Amino acid sequence: MYGWVGQILRINLSDGTVKKEALDPVEAKNYMGARGLGTRLWLKECDPKLEPLSEDNNLIFMTGALTGTMATNAGRYNVVCKAPLTGAMAASNAGGYWGPELKYAGYDGIIFEGKAEKPVYLLINDDQVELRCAEHLWGKDVNETTDTLREEVDIDAKVACIGPGGEKLVKYACVMNDYTRAAGRSGVGAVMGFKNLKAIVVKGTGAVRVADPDAFFDALVKAREKVKNHPVTGQGLGMFGTQILINILDEAGGFPVNNFRDSGTFSGAEAISGETLAKTYLVRNKGCMGCSIGCGRIVNVPEGPYRSFGEGPEYEAGWSFGADCGIDDLAAIIKANNYCNELGVDPITLGSTIACAIELYEIGALTEKETGRPLAFGDAEAMVELTRMTALREGFGNELAEGSYRLASKYGHPELSMTCKKQEMAAYDPRALQGMGLNYATNNRGGCHVRGYMTAPEILGIPEKLDNLITDGKAQWTKIFQDLTAAVDSSGICLFLTFAIGAPEVAEQMTAATGFDYTVEEVMKVGERIWNMERLFNITNGFTKEDDTMPPRLLKEPVKVGPCKGAVNKLDVMLPEYYQLRGWDENGVPTTGKLEELGLQ
Amino acid sequence: MQRGCSPLKVKFFALLRDITGVKETTDFSGNILVELLEELCEHYGKDLTRWIFAPITGDDQERQLSGDIIIMVNGRAIEHLAGLATPLKEEDVVAIFPRLAGG
Repeated sequence: MYGWVGQILRINLSDGTVKKEALDPVEAKNYMGARGLGTRLWLKECDPKLEPLSEDNNLIFMTGALTGTMATNAGRYNVVCKAPLTGAMAASNAGGYWGPELKYAGYDGIIFEGKAEKPVYLLINDDQVELRCAEHLWGKDVNETTDTLREEVDIDAKVACIGPGGEKLVKYACVMNDYTRAAGRSGVGAVMGFKNLKAIVVKGTGAVRVADPDAFFDALVKAREKVKNHPVTGQGLGMFGTQILINILDEAGGFPVNNFRDSGTFSGAEAISGETLAKTYLVRNKGCMGCSIGCGRIVNVPEGPYRSFGEGPEYEAGWSFGADCGIDDLAAIIKANNYCNELGVDPITLGSTIACAIELYEIGALTEKETGRPLAFGDAEAMVELTRMTALREGFGNELAEGSYRLASKYGHPELSMTCKKQEMAAYDPRALQGMGLNYATNNRGGCHVRGYMTAPEILGIPEKLDNLITDGKAQWTKIFQDLTAAVDSSGICLFLTFAIGAPEVAEQMTAATGFDYTVEEVMKVGERIWNMERLFNITNGFTKEDDTMPPRLLKEPVKVGPCKGAVNKLDVMLPEYYQLRGWDENGVPTTGKLEELGLQ
Repeated sequence: MQRGCSPLKVKFFALLRDITGVKETTDFSGNILVELLEELCEHYGKDLTRWIFAPITGDDQERQLSGDIIIMVNGRAIEHLAGLATPLKEEDVVAIFPRLAGG
């Protein structure tokens, strides 16, 4: 095969067997790889109704056809399983160098079955594939684990692992690779921890073959030129990172504050902005394999109570530990974010869960008896300490480790959990961004910003400027963004490229790399197929139209301040049109005709 | 200016701050947005002009915004107001961003 290397590993952790299997080229073509192909392989072998933390929940690491090639920013892979946080399908996307290395070792992906009796790690050194004891690694954080394994195996090896968060089954633990890259959302790290799988160490000396090297080179040069010349991908993201969004969302009045209670502008926005980060703690930027953007931030807080060195924060963590908790102390945010990287937990869900706890405390639903300390918006010291405690399930952190939905439900106020399908939303208030709200509500993995990034047209004017406060046209745009993202995620390239390139460039690179004829229409069709496949999983698993919603606060309580003051999300206006455009019935169920069209019947 | 009114405020973001040397200013005004922008460009020079306006290619061509800029007046993108003809008054806040993104 071309693009794909044509082989996947099957590891049974219960009996320790290792098998090498051929990749089905038809499935590869229809689902591209990573998110799409990983989900497809999971669904072929697993019962959608299974318990996420059970031996039967296969854990799949899958790359895309373009991963590891010279295509634009092609360092991505996905971790797929049923999600502990949501009960929906998890396919969490990560960059770095680990995914390409797996292909250089000769494998498109790995399927982990069963559960090891004791902690193990998987070593892949080209043809050599073996499970090894990881008892000496259990309890170590991500940096210690990665350092130890590189010293033990090969200093050039690439490591994907869990930290204590995954070991302790925090519902939103990440799989971390290359120290600071994260398959971050929905709790894939908890499934890895449940399986007693501490790490996967990969060393590969092979290459990825492409079908038409000349055409591939032409296609990637054209795409790279667009990426280089676009102000976002060629300049802004590298210079300021994703946290540059804080001021623009704040100016537009779409910045959620204090658990979305006091949205949409934050008095401390400038203090935690990308501009401030660049002038204070930023050491330099950093990119993933083959990346020309370099959005990653190496940061150093040299002194004080939040002294730390690490990577990040991204915009979302800057918000979740910042404005959502009422905090304007950038050093504290960096410290909390570093805890998340080192201990392996998702900062979006964690920060939002702390914000929820603070509001529960303020209304008296939680007291110091449960929390062990007073909670208040703006208390940076408490936020940082709760972050550490949560990743380690210490004290009240044990309750926060379950996520905001379970926490708020336990204390009688599920409406204060800022989640869709039990997953916390990101840093865009759906009352101020109507289309982003529709995306949150309909997203197959719950409150997720990266699988239908309506902020691009609604605030940033990419590819064109839509009015963030109106609902007209949002259903169509949301569908396009969701489908395109599903294809991009599955191809193995970075989603940030889509600020500069689109389906035509993906199609050209996929065609030249694989030898299959991907038209623009086929790329979008693959995306739509993946979206509907995920939807079918959710329906089989008991999700209904009633789950395509958001917290009542966002539908009923108007934004309090700023340019969007008075706005609520008008989901009821957009949802029927969205279902219709998707070819679903009035209950949000894909019609037989739509499934036949997509080859999913 | 009426007593008690705040002057019009212009806010700059990201790398535009490297050009202007300030985060915000109240030193400029205009009846409509294009007048304000021209004043700003005259003061801060061609580096700012290149960000804000598209190159003029003909003698009779009207000023057009560059595709690399995002401008809001009181938090609303000017595409949803009157564009370059958006009327301005005291107390308005004009926010100017280079085209940026993240996520």
